[in-house]
Amino acid sequence: MSTTLERPAAASTGKIAPAKGDRTLIRGQVRAGWTLLTPALLHSGIFIVVPVIAVLVLSLTDYSFGDSFEWVGFTNYTDLFRDPNFLASLWHTVLYAIVVIPISMAISLAVAIGLNQKIRGLGFFRTAFYIPTVTATVAVATIWLWIYNPGSGLANGFLSLFGFAPNRWLADPGTALPSLMVVGIWQGLGTKIIIYLAALQGVSRDLLESAQLDGAGRWQKFVNVTWPAIGPVQFFVLITSIVGTFQVFDLVYVMTQGGPGSSTRVLVMDIYQNAFQNLKLGYASAETVIMMIVIAIFIAAGRLLQKADTND
Amino acid sequence: MTSVSLPAAGAAKPPMLRGGRILLYVVLAAGAILMITPFVWMLLTAFKSNAEIAKFSWLPTELRWRNFVEAMQTAPFLRYFRNSLFIAVGETLFTLAVCTTAGYALAKLPLRGGKALLNYFIVLLTVPFQIILVPLFLIVKSVPLFGGNNIVGQGGIGWLNSWWGLIIPLGAAPLFTFLARQFYVSLPDQLAQAARVDGLGEFGIFWRIMTPLIKPALITIAVFQIEAAWNGFLWPLMITTSDEMRPLQLGLAIFSQNPAEIQWPYLMAGTALATLPMIVLFVFAQKRFVEGMANVGIKG
Repeated sequence: MSTTLERPAAASTGKIAPAKGDRTLIRGQVRAGWTLLTPALLHSGIFIVVPVIAVLVLSLTDYSFGDSFEWVGFTNYTDLFRDPNFLASLWHTVLYAIVVIPISMAISLAVAIGLNQKIRGLGFFRTAFYIPTVTATVAVATIWLWIYNPGSGLANGFLSLFGFAPNRWLADPGTALPSLMVVGIWQGLGTKIIIYLAALQGVSRDLLESAQLDGAGRWQKFVNVTWPAIGPVQFFVLITSIVGTFQVFDLVYVMTQGGPGSSTRVLVMDIYQNAFQNLKLGYASAETVIMMIVIAIFIAAGRLLQKADTND
Repeated sequence: MTSVSLPAAGAAKPPMLRGGRILLYVVLAAGAILMITPFVWMLLTAFKSNAEIAKFSWLPTELRWRNFVEAMQTAPFLRYFRNSLFIAVGETLFTLAVCTTAGYALAKLPLRGGKALLNYFIVLLTVPFQIILVPLFLIVKSVPLFGGNNIVGQGGIGWLNSWWGLIIPLGAAPLFTFLARQFYVSLPDQLAQAARVDGLGEFGIFWRIMTPLIKPALITIAVFQIEAAWNGFLWPLMITTSDEMRPLQLGLAIFSQNPAEIQWPYLMAGTALATLPMIVLFVFAQKRFVEGMANVGIKG
């Protein structure tokens, strides 16, 4: 590729390093660049971009795995808002996100601050908090299914230590969704803790020290130095959490199948059933588009919150 | 928890109140116990007899190792295990190949519109897999000339129920391209320049000079992808129809489908076997892995 090299390219600052006679060299680099990039572009195009467009198109049809389909306009969408299953799953998903995201972010940040002190056994703590995250959701769900077992599960065993009456957990429509939320929070802490930990280590020591010299207390240092410094990472965690909570499926599939009744039915579950059990792909696509819109609304709200926070 | 009299390590800082320090340890330890207890409970149950699990108890009276053997006989866990391993290795190799090359090009080569391309990958990174579920299924079903399909991808099942379908669509996520790019960016350009002077071609520079320098990144990416693949559930659930192709997590889920008939000791033994490899992998990769996360500059 790189042939003409009479003169070692002078500039070492930018990544392009252009000098007048280096056209061939640069052309070689560009060619190499596109060659190296092509597989990723093809892959993402075929398996992400095309599907995203397709879901928009399919949502306006009555496609159902057959050979033909008809344009139905926005019928799918109007039908959805009369479909009790969809409305229930939308509500449960939003509720799940609203409860799980703030609680898990707060706990993660607190733990990360704790682990950011000079303490012993850091490796142990880090591993302990991270293990649920590396464990497959199906395995996690299976374990908790057993913990929530009304007869001899750990949850009721634990309650009985304190003399509380046993609960029916997943079998009771009133407690099923909160029980799932607990598992969701428990499982999601690890990643957030590690990200926060990385962010906390990036907070300027100089700033912290000068704040200290100015007589700032622990809390003031946190509010004035640490919190603004980790802002971008907060936003990253928020976005990944939003996307993550809207994806909740494995947990529900293994633990409750959406029941009892439809008390734990969530969006992805409803989409999956409409698409692959009822074979209504157009309908499921419309549902997906709505999910996309709701996620976008959540992210926009998060962005507003962040802006308001940094403008203070 | 009995970590009393810890000479506070931070010498330069004003020593924290001892009480505060002890409280910190107590809280962290309590948290750690909460995180680990479910796994302990899983292991304990895996050794119990069916009679023993009928009522709440902590320790099994005897360690029934044969539960593990019997669990393996009740369901084809070995085959599930092999399938998961195959998928994980396949996806990881595919990801490493596609994402390091793309990441390098984005980081180090003078492409017109490079910034826009980077943004393209960042935007794609936020597309949840669930959103493209339905069309992805259709695309995989109509891959031309596979699974009895004709040249326009009709008539057969394409990549459904095949290793291709299990591995390719879920490999090479934009997240990994972005991650790889972040690591390459941090390498000095002079290295590449020097290699060019020595007459090494662009691909040689990528493969022999730059890529060996980001080994921690490669490990991070590999660990992430192995985890994702090992833990995958929804996609295999959708595209596999035969037990022959099913990975571990699907096997587990099928095993626990009817709560009335679940044999808890077997199920917990199976779950333990499914969980252990990832925990071991994480414990070993932990140091590198966390370093990688910390260095990559998630801040963008």
